[in-house]
Amino acid sequence: MSINLLHRHVLDDHISGFETDPNPNHLSVIRRPVIFSVLAHAGREAEVAEALWNAEDVAPRFCGPSEWLAVSRTVGAETVAGMLSAIAGASVVDQSDGRVLMEIFGPSVRKILSRCVAVDLHPEVFEEGQSAAMLCCHATANVARTGADTFEIIVPRSLAGSVFEELMEMGREHALTRGFAD
Amino acid sequence: MASLITCPHCGTRPKEEFSIRGAAAPKRPSPTAKDEAWHRYVYVRDNPKGRYQEYWHHVAGCRRFLVVERDNLTHEVFGVTDAAEFERAGAAE
Repeated sequence: MSINLLHRHVLDDHISGFETDPNPNHLSVIRRPVIFSVLAHAGREAEVAEALWNAEDVAPRFCGPSEWLAVSRTVGAETVAGMLSAIAGASVVDQSDGRVLMEIFGPSVRKILSRCVAVDLHPEVFEEGQSAAMLCCHATANVARTGADTFEIIVPRSLAGSVFEELMEMGREHALTRGFAD
Repeated sequence: MASLITCPHCGTRPKEEFSIRGAAAPKRPSPTAKDEAWHRYVYVRDNPKGRYQEYWHHVAGCRRFLVVERDNLTHEVFGVTDAAEFERAGAAE
């Protein structure tokens, strides 16, 4: 494991020791994601939502009727900032340092998450591409389904440690492994 | 207590995600209203048994204020609306 002292991740202290090969059920912590919060001005919600859903390289996450998170794992913060500030009727704030992005996947992911989240995650109710703000391990998180058995969880940085520990505890039975991903 | 609330923005959610912010029925008097009217608005509340309108704040979800109409005896939920819409409907009357 390489240690980058310039950009220490909050979960560096929680993920220590040698790294094992990922099991089928795996929790990966994205080291440096780009997360922006987007707020639509009054009355312009629909056009901002449309622009956000058509934006390239950015995955929109629904938080509330006029609030979204824009997540990117491929492009840098400057590019995303430039792209989002071009959307008319929206205010944009960089939240990358304040949020932690985790991805959990594997065949038992719904069993693990059913102990953390009190929302029905059945694929017919919570479809692929859908996202919502909800309580996850007693913390306010944004949970998104990015694949059939893949979920992305965004939590505030200060709560990431406890959410991470609880996710690992709930996944222990299903041999959940963890690690950083770029 | 009603344990599942269907938020108009987020869907069906457990009550733990919400914070109850008090009765929604009292109407705010005009700034020039008599002291008695303001006293009644600020301090005096009915404690009804049965159907009841309340502000619920969806703290852990969309962070919107909702108006939940529920029965505090049978725990039945009759309807959930966004507080902004509730306000608009009240102003239209």
